[in-house]
Amino acid sequence: MEPITGRALVLAASAIGAGLAMIAGIGPGIGQGYAAGKGAEGVGRQPEAQGDIVRTMLLGAAVAETTGIYGLIIALILLFANPLLGLL
Amino acid sequence: MQEVKKMTIRTIAISVLIAISTILIAYFIFDDSKPIIMGIIFGSVLGMLNFYDLFLTLSKASIMNPGKARNFAASKYILRYLFVGIVIFVSIKADYINVVGTIFGLFLIKFVIIATNLFNDRSFFMKIIKRKEEK
Repeated sequence: MEPITGRALVLAASAIGAGLAMIAGIGPGIGQGYAAGKGAEGVGRQPEAQGDIVRTMLLGAAVAETTGIYGLIIALILLFANPLLGLL
Repeated sequence: MQEVKKMTIRTIAISVLIAISTILIAYFIFDDSKPIIMGIIFGSVLGMLNFYDLFLTLSKASIMNPGKARNFAASKYILRYLFVGIVIFVSIKADYINVVGTIFGLFLIKFVIIATNLFNDRSFFMKIIKRKEEK
C-alpha cells in the first residue's frame, strides 16, 4: 500500500473543509423562505403595510445572504485555488 | 410598493457610483489593473442583478399564500446562489478576472445597504456617546 503523501492529505482535508463550508449556504435559504412566508402572512393580515413589510424583508434578506456567499467563496477557493498546496 | 422599487433602484445607483469610483482608484493604484477592474465590473453587476431579483422575488412572494411563498423564496435563493457560485468559479479559473475584485463587487451592494439603510441615523450614534443621565 502506498503511503499517504502530504499533498493528498491536504487535498482530502480541503475537500472535507469545502463540504463543511457549504453548510453555511443552507441557513440563509431556510431563513429567507421563513421570512417570506411570515411576510406573506403579515401582508394578508395588513395589506396596506405591504410596502413596509417588503422593504424590511428585502434589506434583511440581502444582508443575510452575505454569510452564505462567504461559505461559498471559502469552498470554491479550497477546491479550485487552494492556497495551502503552495505551502508544501 | 413604488417606494420599495425606488429604494431598490436608488441602492443600485449608489452601488454603480461606488463601483465606478473604485474602478478609477484601482486604475491609478495598480500597475496591472485590468483584471481587478474586470473583477469589480463582473462582481458588482451580478450583485446588483441579484439584489433586483431579490426585490422581484419578495414582492411576488408577499402576495402569495405563506406556504407557497416560503418555497418560492427558498428556490429563488438557491438559483441566485448558483449564479454567484458560477461567477466566483469563472473568476477563479479565468486569468483575466481577479477573484478579489469579483468578491469586492459582489459585496459592494451589501455595504451600500448597510451604510444607507441600517447605519444612516446620525442621532443614534450621538445617543451612544451621550450619557443617559444627560438630557
